[in-house]
Amino acid sequence: MGSTIIEKIIAKSTGKELVTPDERLWVDVDLAVIRDFGGPNVILEYEEHFGDQKVHDPNKIAITFDLHVPAKDEKVAGNQKICRDFAHKQRIRNLFDVGSGVGQHVLLEKGLVNAGDIIAGTDSHMNLLGCANSFASGVGTTDIVAAWAKGKLWFKVPGTIKIVLDGNLEKPTSAKDVILHVLKNVGCEGALYKSVEICGPATENMSLSERITLTSMVTEMSGKAAFTPPHDKIMDYLKKRTNKEQVGIFPDEDAQYEEEYDFDISGLEPQIACPDSPDNVKPVSEVEGTPVDEVFIGSCTNGRYEDLYEVAQILNKNKVADGVRLIVLPSTAEVARAALDNGLYQIFFEAGAVVPNPSCGLCTTGHHGILAPGEVLVSTSNRNFPGKVGKGGEVYLASPATAATSSVKGEITVPGGA
Amino acid sequence: MKGKAWVIGDNIDTDQIYPGKYLPLTDVKEMAKHALEGIDRLEDFSELVAQGDFVVAGVNFGCGSSREHAAVCLREVGVAMVIAESFARIYYRNTVNIGYPVLESKDITQKVQDGDVLETDASNGIIKNERTGETIQALPLSGLEREISDAGGLLQYMKKTTE
Ligand code: SF4
Repeated sequence: MGSTIIEKIIAKSTGKELVTPDERLWVDVDLAVIRDFGGPNVILEYEEHFGDQKVHDPNKIAITFDLHVPAKDEKVAGNQKICRDFAHKQRIRNLFDVGSGVGQHVLLEKGLVNAGDIIAGTDSHMNLLGCANSFASGVGTTDIVAAWAKGKLWFKVPGTIKIVLDGNLEKPTSAKDVILHVLKNVGCEGALYKSVEICGPATENMSLSERITLTSMVTEMSGKAAFTPPHDKIMDYLKKRTNKEQVGIFPDEDAQYEEEYDFDISGLEPQIACPDSPDNVKPVSEVEGTPVDEVFIGSCTNGRYEDLYEVAQILNKNKVADGVRLIVLPSTAEVARAALDNGLYQIFFEAGAVVPNPSCGLCTTGHHGILAPGEVLVSTSNRNFPGKVGKGGEVYLASPATAATSSVKGEITVPGGA
Repeated sequence: MKGKAWVIGDNIDTDQIYPGKYLPLTDVKEMAKHALEGIDRLEDFSELVAQGDFVVAGVNFGCGSSREHAAVCLREVGVAMVIAESFARIYYRNTVNIGYPVLESKDITQKVQDGDVLETDASNGIIKNERTGETIQALPLSGLEREISDAGGLLQYMKKTTE
Protein backbone atom coordinates (compact mmCIF):
# COMPACT_ATOMS: atom_id res chain seq x y z
CA MET A 1 0.00 0.00 0.00
CA GLY A 2 1.33 3.44 -0.92
CA SER A 3 1.61 6.53 1.23
CA THR A 4 0.45 10.12 0.96
CA ILE A 5 2.87 13.02 1.50
CA ILE A 6 2.08 13.45 5.17
CA GLU A 7 2.34 9.73 5.86
CA LYS A 8 5.82 9.73 4.31
CA ILE A 9 6.97 12.73 6.32
CA ILE A 10 5.70 11.34 9.62
CA ALA A 11 7.10 7.88 8.85
CA LYS A 12 10.53 9.36 8.16
CA SER A 13 10.50 11.33 11.41
CA THR A 14 9.52 8.34 13.51
CA GLY A 15 11.83 5.88 11.74
CA LYS A 16 8.91 3.70 10.71
CA GLU A 17 8.48 2.24 7.28
CA LEU A 18 4.80 2.94 7.09
CA VAL A 19 2.29 4.89 9.16
CA THR A 20 -1.48 4.79 8.80
CA PRO A 21 -4.23 7.30 9.56
CA ASP A 22 -5.38 7.54 13.19
CA GLU A 23 -2.10 6.23 14.63
CA ARG A 24 -0.88 8.46 17.47
CA LEU A 25 2.84 9.04 17.24
CA TRP A 26 5.58 11.17 18.76
CA VAL A 27 7.56 13.00 16.10
CA ASP A 28 10.77 15.01 16.16
CA VAL A 29 10.03 18.66 15.56
CA ASP A 30 12.41 20.49 13.19
CA LEU A 31 11.19 23.96 14.04
CA ALA A 32 8.84 25.25 16.76
CA VAL A 33 7.74 28.83 16.23
CA ILE A 34 6.05 31.54 18.25
CA ARG A 35 4.92 35.03 17.35
CA ASP A 36 4.89 38.31 19.22
CA PHE A 37 1.33 37.70 20.36
CA GLY A 38 0.54 34.46 22.09
CA GLY A 39 4.30 33.86 22.15
CA PRO A 40 4.88 35.46 25.56
CA ASN A 41 2.42 32.93 27.01
CA VAL A 42 4.64 30.16 25.68
CA ILE A 43 7.67 31.69 27.35
CA LEU A 44 5.89 32.24 30.67
CA GLU A 45 4.60 28.66 30.60
CA TYR A 46 8.04 27.34 29.69
CA GLU A 47 9.64 29.18 32.60
CA GLU A 48 6.89 28.15 34.98
CA HIS A 49 7.58 24.47 34.22
CA PHE A 50 11.27 24.43 33.34
CA GLY A 51 12.68 27.58 34.94
CA ASP A 52 16.08 28.48 33.47
CA GLN A 53 16.61 25.04 31.98
CA LYS A 54 18.17 25.25 28.51
CA VAL A 55 15.83 24.59 25.62
CA HIS A 56 16.27 21.31 23.76
CA ASP A 57 17.85 22.99 20.71
CA PRO A 58 17.90 26.77 20.20
CA ASN A 59 18.41 26.32 16.44
CA LYS A 60 15.05 24.59 16.21
CA ILE A 61 13.22 27.61 17.57
CA ALA A 62 12.09 30.72 15.74
CA ILE A 63 10.32 33.82 16.97
CA THR A 64 8.55 36.07 14.48
CA PHE A 65 7.08 39.48 15.21
CA ASP A 66 4.27 40.15 12.79
CA LEU A 67 1.06 41.19 14.40
CA HIS A 68 1.22 44.37 16.46
CA VAL A 69 4.44 45.70 14.97
CA PRO A 70 6.03 47.98 15.94
CA ALA A 71 4.42 47.65 19.39
CA LYS A 72 1.07 49.44 19.43
CA ASP A 73 0.81 49.90 23.21
CA GLU A 74 2.64 49.25 26.49
CA LYS A 75 1.23 45.76 26.92
CA VAL A 76 2.45 44.66 23.50
CA ALA A 77 5.80 46.36 24.05
CA GLY A 78 6.18 44.37 27.28
CA ASN A 79 5.28 41.14 25.49
CA GLN A 80 7.79 41.75 22.74
CA LYS A 81 10.45 42.43 25.34
CA ILE A 82 9.67 39.08 26.99
CA CYS A 83 10.42 37.43 23.63
CA ARG A 84 13.64 39.36 23.02
CA ASP A 85 14.94 38.72 26.54
CA PHE A 86 14.17 35.02 26.31
CA ALA A 87 15.86 34.73 22.91
CA HIS A 88 18.93 36.44 24.30
CA LYS A 89 19.05 34.27 27.40
CA GLN A 90 18.49 31.02 25.51
CA ARG A 91 20.76 31.95 22.57
CA ILE A 92 17.96 31.73 20.03
CA ARG A 93 19.32 33.33 16.88
CA ASN A 94 16.19 33.16 14.80
CA LEU A 95 14.27 36.11 16.19
CA PHE A 96 12.77 38.21 13.43
CA ASP A 97 11.91 41.52 14.95
CA VAL A 98 9.46 44.24 13.91
CA GLY A 99 9.84 45.09 10.24
CA SER A 100 10.55 41.50 9.13
CA GLY A 101 7.05 40.63 8.01
CA VAL A 102 4.53 37.78 8.20
CA GLY A 103 6.04 34.85 10.10
CA GLN A 104 5.77 31.83 7.80
CA HIS A 105 6.87 33.91 4.81
CA VAL A 106 9.92 35.13 6.71
CA LEU A 107 10.84 31.55 7.70
CA LEU A 108 10.68 30.53 4.05
CA GLU A 109 12.83 33.42 2.88
CA LYS A 110 15.36 32.99 5.67
CA GLY A 111 16.02 29.35 4.81
CA LEU A 112 14.42 27.76 7.86
CA VAL A 113 12.09 25.52 5.86
CA ASN A 114 13.22 22.30 4.18
CA ALA A 115 11.29 19.75 2.17
CA GLY A 116 10.11 17.04 4.55
CA ASP A 117 10.47 19.11 7.72
CA ILE A 118 7.98 18.98 10.57
CA ILE A 119 7.19 22.49 11.76
CA ALA A 120 4.84 23.55 14.55
CA GLY A 121 3.79 27.10 15.28
CA THR A 122 1.29 29.06 17.32
CA ASP A 123 -0.15 30.28 14.09
CA SER A 124 -3.09 28.63 12.45
CA HIS A 125 -1.78 29.46 8.97
CA MET A 126 1.48 27.62 9.51
CA ASN A 127 0.27 24.94 7.12
CA LEU A 128 0.85 27.20 4.14
CA LEU A 129 4.47 26.02 4.36
CA GLY A 130 3.25 22.83 2.73
CA CYS A 131 3.83 24.83 -0.47
CA ALA A 132 7.48 24.03 0.27
CA ASN A 133 6.80 20.37 0.99
CA SER A 134 6.99 20.56 4.78
CA PHE A 135 4.40 19.31 7.25
CA ALA A 136 3.69 22.54 9.08
CA SER A 137 0.80 22.81 11.47
CA GLY A 138 -0.76 25.29 13.84
CA VAL A 139 -0.68 24.13 17.46
CA GLY A 140 -1.32 25.63 20.88
CA THR A 141 0.92 27.20 23.51
CA THR A 142 1.53 24.03 25.49
CA ASP A 143 2.59 22.11 22.38
CA ILE A 144 5.35 24.61 21.72
CA VAL A 145 6.53 24.50 25.34
CA ALA A 146 6.79 20.72 24.99
CA ALA A 147 8.66 20.96 21.68
CA TRP A 148 11.10 23.50 23.09
CA ALA A 149 11.77 21.39 26.17
CA LYS A 150 11.89 17.91 24.65
CA GLY A 151 12.06 18.37 20.88
CA LYS A 152 9.00 16.19 20.39
CA LEU A 153 5.26 16.45 19.84
CA TRP A 154 2.39 14.01 19.50
CA PHE A 155 0.31 13.84 16.37
CA LYS A 156 -2.50 11.74 15.15
CA VAL A 157 -1.66 10.70 11.59
CA PRO A 158 -4.39 12.38 9.56
CA GLY A 159 -6.19 10.90 6.61
CA THR A 160 -5.62 12.73 3.33
CA ILE A 161 -8.01 14.49 0.98
CA LYS A 162 -6.90 14.90 -2.62
CA ILE A 163 -7.97 17.93 -4.58
CA VAL A 164 -7.28 17.71 -8.30
CA LEU A 165 -7.34 20.90 -10.35
CA ASP A 166 -7.82 20.40 -14.05
CA GLY A 167 -7.90 22.93 -16.85
CA ASN A 168 -6.18 26.27 -17.26
CA LEU A 169 -6.14 29.39 -15.16
CA GLU A 170 -7.20 32.34 -17.30
CA LYS A 171 -6.59 35.89 -16.14
CA PRO A 172 -8.01 37.84 -14.35
CA THR A 173 -8.94 34.66 -12.46
CA SER A 174 -6.14 33.78 -10.06
CA ALA A 175 -5.08 31.15 -7.54
CA LYS A 176 -7.18 33.01 -4.94
CA ASP A 177 -10.35 32.59 -7.00
CA VAL A 178 -9.53 28.91 -7.41
CA ILE A 179 -9.07 28.28 -3.70
CA LEU A 180 -12.27 30.22 -2.88
CA HIS A 181 -14.10 28.03 -5.37
CA VAL A 182 -12.63 24.91 -3.77
CA LEU A 183 -13.55 26.18 -0.30
CA LYS A 184 -17.13 26.73 -1.36
CA ASN A 185 -17.35 23.07 -2.29
CA VAL A 186 -15.30 21.53 0.50
CA GLY A 187 -16.73 23.80 3.22
CA CYS A 188 -15.26 25.25 6.42
CA GLU A 189 -15.22 21.89 8.17
CA GLY A 190 -14.59 19.78 5.07
CA ALA A 191 -10.99 18.94 5.92
CA LEU A 192 -11.27 18.75 9.72
CA TYR A 193 -8.35 16.68 11.12
CA LYS A 194 -7.22 15.97 7.55
CA SER A 195 -4.19 16.60 5.39
CA VAL A 196 -4.99 18.10 2.00
CA GLU A 197 -3.00 17.56 -1.20
CA ILE A 198 -3.76 20.03 -3.96
CA CYS A 199 -2.48 18.77 -7.28
CA GLY A 200 -3.42 18.30 -10.91
CA PRO A 201 -2.45 19.82 -14.27
CA ALA A 202 -3.57 23.33 -13.34
CA THR A 203 -1.18 23.46 -10.38
CA GLU A 204 1.88 22.14 -12.11
CA ASN A 205 3.22 25.44 -13.35
CA MET A 206 2.01 27.48 -10.41
CA SER A 207 4.66 29.65 -8.76
CA LEU A 208 5.56 29.57 -5.09
CA SER A 209 3.40 32.61 -4.51
CA GLU A 210 0.34 30.97 -6.09
CA ARG A 211 0.97 27.82 -4.09
CA ILE A 212 1.11 29.87 -0.91
CA THR A 213 -2.32 31.26 -1.74
CA LEU A 214 -3.70 27.74 -2.22
CA THR A 215 -2.16 26.11 0.84
CA SER A 216 -2.84 29.04 3.18
CA MET A 217 -6.59 28.67 2.81
CA VAL A 218 -6.63 24.99 3.69
CA THR A 219 -6.75 26.41 7.22
CA GLU A 220 -10.24 27.73 6.43
CA MET A 221 -11.26 24.16 5.51
CA SER A 222 -10.08 23.18 9.01
CA GLY A 223 -7.21 21.15 7.53
CA LYS A 224 -4.30 20.03 9.63
CA ALA A 225 -1.73 20.23 6.85
CA ALA A 226 -1.67 21.26 3.19
CA PHE A 227 0.59 20.27 0.35
CA THR A 228 1.20 21.03 -3.28
CA PRO A 229 3.56 18.40 -4.74
CA PRO A 230 6.67 20.48 -5.54
CA HIS A 231 8.26 21.12 -8.92
CA ASP A 232 11.95 21.75 -9.57
CA LYS A 233 11.68 25.52 -9.20
CA ILE A 234 10.33 25.16 -5.67
CA MET A 235 13.17 22.81 -4.77
CA ASP A 236 15.68 25.24 -6.30
CA TYR A 237 14.19 28.07 -4.26
CA LEU A 238 14.58 26.09 -1.05
CA LYS A 239 18.11 24.99 -1.93
CA LYS A 240 19.16 28.57 -2.56
CA ARG A 241 17.70 29.73 0.73
CA THR A 242 18.82 26.89 2.97
CA ASN A 243 22.17 25.94 1.37
CA LYS A 244 21.06 22.33 1.79
CA GLU A 245 20.15 19.64 -0.70
CA GLN A 246 16.39 19.27 -0.91
CA VAL A 247 14.61 16.03 -1.64
CA GLY A 248 11.00 16.49 -2.68
CA ILE A 249 8.40 14.19 -1.17
CA PHE A 250 5.63 12.98 -3.44
CA PRO A 251 2.65 10.72 -2.87
CA ASP A 252 2.84 7.14 -4.14
CA GLU A 253 0.71 6.23 -7.13
CA ASP A 254 -1.28 3.85 -4.97
CA ALA A 255 -1.57 6.16 -1.94
CA GLN A 256 -4.86 5.88 -0.07
CA TYR A 257 -7.07 8.97 -0.02
CA GLU A 258 -10.16 9.37 2.11
CA GLU A 259 -11.83 11.65 -0.37
CA GLU A 260 -11.10 13.09 -3.76
CA TYR A 261 -12.46 16.25 -5.36
CA ASP A 262 -11.98 17.17 -9.01
CA PHE A 263 -12.42 20.69 -10.30
CA ASP A 264 -12.08 21.95 -13.83
CA ILE A 265 -11.01 25.56 -13.43
CA SER A 266 -11.08 26.54 -17.10
CA GLY A 267 -13.47 29.44 -17.49
CA LEU A 268 -13.85 29.99 -13.73
CA GLU A 269 -15.09 33.53 -13.01
CA PRO A 270 -13.46 35.60 -10.22
CA GLN A 271 -14.90 34.53 -6.86
CA ILE A 272 -15.61 36.33 -3.59
CA ALA A 273 -16.40 35.06 -0.08
CA CYS A 274 -19.25 37.09 1.39
CA PRO A 275 -19.82 37.81 5.11
CA ASP A 276 -19.62 35.98 7.52
CA SER A 277 -17.87 32.83 6.41
CA PRO A 278 -14.98 31.99 4.08
CA ASP A 279 -17.06 29.30 2.37
CA ASN A 280 -19.92 31.68 1.58
CA VAL A 281 -18.46 32.05 -1.90
CA LYS A 282 -20.18 33.56 -4.96
CA PRO A 283 -19.00 34.79 -8.34
CA VAL A 284 -17.92 38.45 -7.93
CA SER A 285 -20.49 39.38 -10.58
CA GLU A 286 -23.32 38.48 -8.17
CA VAL A 287 -22.35 41.12 -5.62
CA GLU A 288 -20.99 43.68 -8.07
CA GLY A 289 -21.96 47.22 -7.07
CA THR A 290 -21.78 46.71 -3.29
CA PRO A 291 -20.25 49.95 -1.93
CA VAL A 292 -16.94 49.51 -0.09
CA ASP A 293 -15.32 51.61 2.64
CA GLU A 294 -11.94 49.95 2.79
CA VAL A 295 -9.77 47.60 0.74
CA PHE A 296 -6.89 45.55 2.16
CA ILE A 297 -4.31 43.90 -0.06
CA GLY A 298 -1.80 41.75 1.79
CA SER A 299 -1.74 38.98 4.45
CA CYS A 300 -0.15 35.53 4.42
CA THR A 301 -2.54 34.56 1.61
CA ASN A 302 -1.87 37.38 -0.86
CA GLY A 303 1.03 39.60 0.17
CA ARG A 304 3.70 38.33 -2.23
CA TYR A 305 5.52 40.40 -4.82
CA GLU A 306 3.49 38.87 -7.66
CA ASP A 307 0.30 39.95 -5.91
CA LEU A 308 1.55 43.50 -5.46
CA TYR A 309 2.76 43.61 -9.05
CA GLU A 310 -0.69 42.68 -10.33
CA VAL A 311 -2.24 45.32 -8.09
CA ALA A 312 0.20 47.95 -9.37
CA GLN A 313 -0.85 47.17 -12.96
CA ILE A 314 -4.43 47.97 -12.01
CA LEU A 315 -3.66 51.04 -9.91
CA ASN A 316 -1.23 52.51 -12.43
CA LYS A 317 -2.54 55.93 -13.52
CA ASN A 318 -5.68 55.34 -11.47
CA LYS A 319 -6.82 56.81 -8.18
CA VAL A 320 -8.51 55.12 -5.27
CA ALA A 321 -12.19 56.18 -5.29
CA ASP A 322 -13.24 59.06 -3.02
CA GLY A 323 -14.16 57.89 0.43
CA VAL A 324 -12.36 54.56 0.07
CA ARG A 325 -9.29 53.65 2.10
CA LEU A 326 -6.80 51.36 0.36
CA ILE A 327 -4.14 49.58 2.39
CA VAL A 328 -1.43 47.72 0.48
CA LEU A 329 0.84 45.60 2.61
CA PRO A 330 3.90 43.65 1.46
CA SER A 331 4.16 40.38 3.38
CA THR A 332 7.89 40.70 4.14
CA ALA A 333 10.77 43.15 4.07
CA GLU A 334 12.18 41.32 1.06
CA VAL A 335 8.89 41.72 -0.83
CA ALA A 336 8.76 45.40 0.17
CA ARG A 337 12.31 45.91 -1.05
CA ALA A 338 11.49 44.39 -4.44
CA ALA A 339 8.35 46.52 -4.67
CA LEU A 340 10.37 49.61 -3.89
CA ASP A 341 13.16 48.81 -6.34
CA ASN A 342 10.69 48.17 -9.13
CA GLY A 343 8.70 51.36 -8.72
CA LEU A 344 5.58 49.82 -7.17
CA TYR A 345 5.60 52.11 -4.14
CA GLN A 346 5.44 55.11 -6.46
CA ILE A 347 2.30 53.72 -8.08
CA PHE A 348 0.71 52.89 -4.72
CA PHE A 349 1.36 56.33 -3.28
CA GLU A 350 0.17 58.13 -6.39
CA ALA A 351 -3.04 56.11 -6.34
CA GLY A 352 -3.60 57.24 -2.74
CA ALA A 353 -2.90 53.95 -0.96
CA VAL A 354 -1.53 53.60 2.57
CA VAL A 355 1.50 51.30 2.65
CA PRO A 356 2.38 50.23 6.21
CA ASN A 357 5.45 48.25 7.26
CA PRO A 358 5.50 44.53 6.33
CA SER A 359 3.30 42.63 8.82
CA CYS A 360 -0.08 40.94 9.19
CA GLY A 361 -1.61 44.41 9.27
CA LEU A 362 -5.26 44.59 10.14
CA CYS A 363 -5.69 40.81 10.08
CA THR A 364 -6.83 39.48 13.51
CA THR A 365 -7.66 43.00 14.69
CA GLY A 366 -3.98 43.78 14.58
CA HIS A 367 -2.80 47.16 13.40
CA HIS A 368 -3.67 49.73 10.77
CA GLY A 369 -7.22 49.81 9.53
CA ILE A 370 -9.84 48.34 11.87
CA LEU A 371 -13.45 48.83 10.73
CA ALA A 372 -16.24 50.78 12.38
CA PRO A 373 -19.57 48.94 12.77
CA GLY A 374 -21.40 48.66 9.46
CA GLU A 375 -18.36 49.36 7.30
CA VAL A 376 -17.53 47.11 4.35
CA LEU A 377 -14.04 45.77 3.67
CA VAL A 378 -12.79 43.89 0.63
CA SER A 379 -9.76 41.94 1.77
CA THR A 380 -7.28 39.58 0.14
CA SER A 381 -6.84 37.86 3.49
CA ASN A 382 -8.37 34.52 4.42
CA ARG A 383 -11.05 34.93 7.09
CA ASN A 384 -14.24 36.92 7.41
CA PHE A 385 -15.82 35.53 10.55
CA PRO A 386 -17.87 38.10 12.55
CA GLY A 387 -15.71 40.61 14.40
CA LYS A 388 -12.55 39.54 12.58
CA VAL A 389 -11.58 43.09 11.62
CA GLY A 390 -13.61 45.02 14.18
CA LYS A 391 -17.03 44.38 15.62
CA GLY A 392 -19.88 44.97 13.20
CA GLY A 393 -17.67 45.30 10.14
CA GLU A 394 -18.48 43.28 7.04
CA VAL A 395 -15.65 41.51 5.28
CA TYR A 396 -15.51 40.14 1.72
CA LEU A 397 -12.56 37.97 0.70
CA ALA A 398 -11.27 38.26 -2.84
CA SER A 399 -8.23 38.18 -5.12
CA PRO A 400 -5.75 41.06 -5.38
CA ALA A 401 -7.17 41.92 -8.82
CA THR A 402 -10.76 42.10 -7.54
CA ALA A 403 -9.68 44.08 -4.48
CA ALA A 404 -7.62 46.60 -6.46
CA THR A 405 -10.32 47.07 -9.09
CA SER A 406 -12.95 47.56 -6.38
CA SER A 407 -10.80 50.19 -4.64
CA VAL A 408 -10.68 52.24 -7.82
CA LYS A 409 -14.41 51.90 -8.49
CA GLY A 410 -15.51 52.37 -4.87
CA GLU A 411 -17.72 49.31 -5.12
CA ILE A 412 -17.21 45.59 -5.57
CA THR A 413 -16.22 45.15 -9.20
CA VAL A 414 -15.28 42.22 -11.41
CA PRO A 415 -11.65 42.73 -12.45
CA GLY A 416 -10.44 42.79 -16.01
CA GLY A 417 -13.12 45.12 -17.37
CA ALA A 418 -12.48 48.17 -19.55
CA MET B 1 -20.56 16.87 37.38
CA LYS B 2 -23.85 18.72 37.43
CA GLY B 3 -24.60 22.16 36.06
CA LYS B 4 -26.63 24.34 33.74
CA ALA B 5 -26.21 24.28 29.97
CA TRP B 6 -25.43 27.37 27.91
CA VAL B 7 -26.35 26.41 24.38
CA ILE B 8 -24.63 28.20 21.49
CA GLY B 9 -24.52 27.64 17.74
CA ASP B 10 -22.31 26.17 15.03
CA ASN B 11 -18.87 27.41 13.98
CA ILE B 12 -18.22 29.49 17.09
CA ASP B 13 -14.74 30.77 16.31
CA THR B 14 -11.96 31.72 18.67
CA ASP B 15 -12.66 35.42 18.17
CA GLN B 16 -16.10 34.88 19.68
CA ILE B 17 -14.78 32.71 22.48
CA TYR B 18 -11.91 35.04 23.23
CA PRO B 19 -11.75 38.26 21.17
CA GLY B 20 -8.38 38.96 19.51
CA LYS B 21 -8.00 42.31 21.22
CA TYR B 22 -7.35 40.55 24.54
CA LEU B 23 -4.53 38.40 23.18
CA PRO B 24 -1.88 40.50 24.90
CA LEU B 25 -3.29 39.46 28.32
CA THR B 26 -1.19 36.85 30.08
CA ASP B 27 -2.99 36.55 33.44
CA VAL B 28 -5.53 33.70 33.38
CA LYS B 29 -7.85 35.45 35.85
CA GLU B 30 -8.02 38.42 33.49
CA MET B 31 -8.58 36.12 30.51
CA ALA B 32 -11.58 34.54 32.27
CA LYS B 33 -13.41 37.88 32.30
CA HIS B 34 -13.65 37.85 28.51
CA ALA B 35 -14.88 34.32 27.95
CA LEU B 36 -17.49 34.18 25.17
CA GLU B 37 -17.56 37.98 25.12
CA GLY B 38 -17.58 37.95 21.31
CA ILE B 39 -21.06 36.34 21.23
CA ASP B 40 -23.56 39.19 21.34
CA ARG B 41 -26.04 37.80 23.86
CA LEU B 42 -23.23 36.52 26.09
CA GLU B 43 -21.20 39.68 26.39
CA ASP B 44 -21.47 39.40 30.21
CA PHE B 45 -20.98 35.64 30.30
CA SER B 46 -18.28 35.80 32.97
CA GLU B 47 -20.78 37.40 35.38
CA LEU B 48 -23.70 35.17 34.46
CA VAL B 49 -22.04 31.76 34.51
CA ALA B 50 -22.04 29.62 37.66
CA GLN B 51 -19.14 27.34 38.60
CA GLY B 52 -19.74 23.92 37.08
CA ASP B 53 -21.97 25.04 34.21
CA PHE B 54 -21.57 23.54 30.74
CA VAL B 55 -21.16 25.10 27.36
CA VAL B 56 -23.06 23.13 24.71
CA ALA B 57 -22.11 23.98 21.13
CA GLY B 58 -22.80 22.92 17.57
CA VAL B 59 -20.24 21.84 15.00
CA ASN B 60 -16.65 23.08 14.62
CA PHE B 61 -16.44 24.75 18.02
CA GLY B 62 -13.22 26.76 18.39
CA CYS B 63 -12.42 27.22 14.71
CA GLY B 64 -10.25 30.14 13.68
CA SER B 65 -6.97 30.89 15.38
CA SER B 66 -4.73 28.64 17.45
CA ARG B 67 -5.02 30.73 20.62
CA GLU B 68 -4.99 28.53 23.69
CA HIS B 69 -6.59 31.46 25.56
CA ALA B 70 -9.90 30.24 24.10
CA ALA B 71 -9.66 26.98 26.04
CA VAL B 72 -8.07 28.49 29.15
CA CYS B 73 -10.64 31.29 29.54
CA LEU B 74 -13.55 28.84 29.72
CA ARG B 75 -11.81 26.67 32.29
CA GLU B 76 -10.87 29.70 34.38
CA VAL B 77 -14.36 31.20 34.28
CA GLY B 78 -15.70 27.97 35.77
CA VAL B 79 -17.16 26.08 32.82
CA ALA B 80 -16.92 22.42 33.85
CA MET B 81 -16.79 21.12 30.32
CA VAL B 82 -17.55 21.99 26.72
CA ILE B 83 -19.79 19.53 24.93
CA ALA B 84 -19.88 20.11 21.18
CA GLU B 85 -21.09 18.32 18.08
CA SER B 86 -17.52 18.63 16.81
CA PHE B 87 -14.40 20.61 17.67
CA ALA B 88 -11.94 22.49 15.50
CA ARG B 89 -8.66 20.63 15.37
CA ILE B 90 -6.37 22.98 17.31
CA TYR B 91 -9.04 23.71 19.90
CA TYR B 92 -9.47 20.01 20.59
CA ARG B 93 -5.71 19.57 20.79
CA ASN B 94 -5.39 22.45 23.22
CA THR B 95 -7.99 21.03 25.59
CA VAL B 96 -6.11 17.72 25.68
CA ASN B 97 -2.80 19.48 26.27
CA ILE B 98 -4.11 21.49 29.20
CA GLY B 99 -5.98 18.56 30.72
CA TYR B 100 -9.41 20.18 30.33
CA PRO B 101 -11.67 17.41 29.08
CA VAL B 102 -14.28 17.91 26.39
CA LEU B 103 -17.01 15.67 25.01
CA GLU B 104 -18.10 15.22 21.42
CA SER B 105 -21.75 14.42 20.84
CA LYS B 106 -23.64 14.51 17.58
CA ASP B 107 -26.98 16.39 17.63
CA ILE B 108 -26.38 17.59 21.21
CA THR B 109 -27.80 21.06 20.43
CA GLN B 110 -31.07 19.39 19.46
CA LYS B 111 -31.25 17.37 22.65
CA VAL B 112 -30.36 20.13 25.08
CA GLN B 113 -31.92 23.58 25.49
CA ASP B 114 -30.44 26.66 27.03
CA GLY B 115 -30.82 26.40 30.81
CA ASP B 116 -31.29 22.61 30.97
CA VAL B 117 -29.57 20.97 33.93
CA LEU B 118 -27.12 18.26 32.86
CA GLU B 119 -25.26 15.62 34.75
CA THR B 120 -22.19 14.36 32.95
CA ASP B 121 -19.38 11.90 33.43
CA ALA B 122 -16.29 12.81 31.42
CA SER B 123 -14.75 9.36 31.84
CA ASN B 124 -17.49 7.38 30.11
CA GLY B 125 -19.14 10.18 28.14
CA ILE B 126 -22.62 9.78 29.64
CA ILE B 127 -24.77 12.91 29.74
CA LYS B 128 -28.14 12.98 31.54
CA ASN B 129 -30.61 15.74 30.78
CA GLU B 130 -32.84 16.37 33.84
CA ARG B 131 -35.59 18.13 31.89
CA THR B 132 -36.10 15.44 29.27
CA GLY B 133 -34.89 12.47 31.28
CA GLU B 134 -32.81 11.44 28.27
CA THR B 135 -29.44 9.73 28.62
CA ILE B 136 -27.01 10.72 25.87
CA GLN B 137 -23.87 8.78 25.03
CA ALA B 138 -21.08 11.17 24.00
CA LEU B 139 -17.62 10.31 22.73
CA PRO B 140 -15.09 10.53 25.54
CA LEU B 141 -11.32 10.85 25.04
CA SER B 142 -9.41 7.65 24.42
CA GLY B 143 -5.89 6.37 23.81
CA LEU B 144 -2.97 8.73 24.02
CA GLU B 145 -5.21 11.80 24.31
CA ARG B 146 -6.86 10.26 27.35
CA GLU B 147 -3.50 9.49 28.95
CA ILE B 148 -2.28 13.05 28.38
CA SER B 149 -5.46 14.62 29.67
CA ASP B 150 -5.58 12.34 32.73
CA ALA B 151 -2.00 13.23 33.59
CA GLY B 152 -3.18 16.84 33.86
CA GLY B 153 -1.89 17.91 30.47
CA LEU B 154 0.98 17.49 28.01
CA LEU B 155 3.80 18.86 30.15
CA GLN B 156 2.81 16.82 33.17
CA TYR B 157 2.56 13.77 30.92
CA MET B 158 5.99 14.33 29.38
CA LYS B 159 7.61 14.91 32.74
CA LYS B 160 6.10 11.71 34.00
CA THR B 161 7.14 9.63 31.02
CA THR B 162 10.61 11.02 30.35
CA GLU B 163 11.92 11.26 33.88
S1 SF4 C 1 -1.84 37.51 7.83
FE1 SF4 C 1 -3.57 37.12 9.17
S2 SF4 C 1 -4.08 34.99 8.89
FE2 SF4 C 1 -2.03 35.30 8.06
S3 SF4 C 1 -0.63 34.83 9.74
FE3 SF4 C 1 -1.02 37.02 9.83
S4 SF4 C 1 -2.74 37.23 11.25
FE4 SF4 C 1 -2.67 35.08 10.61
